[in-house]
Amino acid sequence: MALLEVEDLRVAFGGTTAVDGVDFQVDQGQVVGLVGESGCGKSVTSLAIMGLLPRRGATVSGRARFDGVDLLTLPRSDMRRRRGSDLAMVFQDPLSSLNPVVKIGTQITEVLERHRGLRGEAATKEAEHLLDRVGIPDPRRRLGEYPHQLSGGMRQRVLIAIAVACAPRLLIADEPTTALDVTIQAQILELLKDLVDAEGTALLMITHDLGVVAGLCDEVNVLYSGRVVESATAPDLFALPTHPYTVGLLNSIPRLDLPIHEPLKPIRGSIADVIRWQDGCAFAPRCDRVTEKCVEGEPPLIGASHFHRCVMAEEVA
Amino acid sequence: MSVDTVTEGETETALLTVDDVKVHFPIRRGIVVERTVGHVRAVDGVSLSIDAGKTYGLVGESGCGKTTLGRAVLRLEEPTAGTVTLGDTEVTGLRPERLRRFRSKMQMVFQDPLGSLNPRHNVEMLLAEPLKVHGVGSKTERRDLARETLEAVGLPVSVLERYPHEFSGGQRQRLGIARALMLRPDLIVCDEPVSALDVSIQAQVMNLLDELQDEFGLTYLVIAHDLAVVRHLSDRVGVMYLGKLVEEADSETIYEHPRHPYTKALLSAVPQPDPEVEASRERIILTGDLPSPANPPSGCRFRTRCPWAQDVCAEKEPEWREAASGHKVACHFDL
Repeated sequence: MALLEVEDLRVAFGGTTAVDGVDFQVDQGQVVGLVGESGCGKSVTSLAIMGLLPRRGATVSGRARFDGVDLLTLPRSDMRRRRGSDLAMVFQDPLSSLNPVVKIGTQITEVLERHRGLRGEAATKEAEHLLDRVGIPDPRRRLGEYPHQLSGGMRQRVLIAIAVACAPRLLIADEPTTALDVTIQAQILELLKDLVDAEGTALLMITHDLGVVAGLCDEVNVLYSGRVVESATAPDLFALPTHPYTVGLLNSIPRLDLPIHEPLKPIRGSIADVIRWQDGCAFAPRCDRVTEKCVEGEPPLIGASHFHRCVMAEEVA
Repeated sequence: MSVDTVTEGETETALLTVDDVKVHFPIRRGIVVERTVGHVRAVDGVSLSIDAGKTYGLVGESGCGKTTLGRAVLRLEEPTAGTVTLGDTEVTGLRPERLRRFRSKMQMVFQDPLGSLNPRHNVEMLLAEPLKVHGVGSKTERRDLARETLEAVGLPVSVLERYPHEFSGGQRQRLGIARALMLRPDLIVCDEPVSALDVSIQAQVMNLLDELQDEFGLTYLVIAHDLAVVRHLSDRVGVMYLGKLVEEADSETIYEHPRHPYTKALLSAVPQPDPEVEASRERIILTGDLPSPANPPSGCRFRTRCPWAQDVCAEKEPEWREAASGHKVACHFDL
């Protein structure tokens, strides 16, 4: 059984549908990517799994089974116990995720106290060990500092230290390197890879960067307008991208390993040009291969191990 | 480096020449009596030149001074030392009123298109404003020019009555570009023109910048942190670190044969959308963070993070030398 099984997850804010039936799985020790552009529902998916969406305003349905237990129907107090110990999250912006008026040390020991019952010197020792683990030099001194005294990369390391403090079995990272410079991004990705390998933590990586996915993920799910449009192992996805949106994304990226000055092939229009999945393929208005078949009702997810949601794919291939 | 760049011959057609420009910001302490206790050397002696109709890409990480340099070129930031020359005019020597008028020749495209467009002005007002400021044309002429420019950036003329909040991010960046184009400038400084946009939209805007360059004969100074974006847009690329250029070459050369350790590390850090390339790649992981530009390391500024650093790097500042034809680097070694 998979560690996390998400089935038909739907999230709506009032009349606006953000996530429109998302399915995917994360196995023990696996790195799974959720890829898409702004507004595709990737962050809302992760917040729904963590139970962090506002109770009022957000309507969540579907299932998110962690170890067989549906997280979406779990009472609040149970969810609170699991958050931090069973599953933990790293956010994009480390400065606004840390409390600016509380010392780094206290923010780490807080988690250790709550979930592992460590107190006093034992907690401080463990916090120091954690900072050391995520590669922060001189950890004892850093424990007494405030978030503003650290650089962006260091802050992200602190967040990761807090997230792994209780050895969670699933770590959700929502654009953990987007706010960072490339050289710092490389450090953080290396650290995440290292943690996954050493501790066997499963990682759900949410990102817009296909480069990050290629280097880190075992499985990839491409999201468009609140639904998975393609799902495969990373080697398969990059070798044989099938859905026109995935193909379009790959063609839009300027690459360092390809000939210079070739014009890019962007996807036309914007995510505002959309139709409802119930009426057809949401990507149809921007797709170059669009036919009448594309707007005749909901496109199903097709495939055996490499899934895609395009009714035209077989004919083109 | 000094004036000799101007006489090198390669700069005969140079539209923009930046010579040893420095921008230092004072650090002040004290409440009643302010004392200057030091300087942040945001830009600390940069020279470069851009040929007419070409694109120069300036790349580096946050805090390296690339944005400050771009602003200093337009004198939105007053350079502490050095000269900037556009065409035959020394921009750094212009008095305020002349400078104001001269700005019609050099415009800027900003990173955040929403933050740089007045939310209470509709598109027509936004586009006509630069013309009004410079006293160009009558109201109808301004409107005609606005229509023409909108078409050039790929927006329908029907948007003239609309307001910035009604547009998507990509469309807003098109508006920002249209606005910079209104005065038909010679030089456009693009500061992170696509970094706020989604990848599919990034490609649209990058292609647009390319097309406009051909159509209007523009010269670009593109400032960006994304190496792939810079490589795609630029003819020549300069890599900045802590206020100084560390390497400069044609964009093909610099990406194929980087000579400075920092350039090598930067290039090796960019993730590529191909699992095979990713798995086989040798990555140079730099340790630590950028040092403070208020107190840069002695000798070579990069030595504190350089995997190849030797004793000499702490003692002597490396010369800005031509390692191969048209390929400049500031490193003691030939790597």
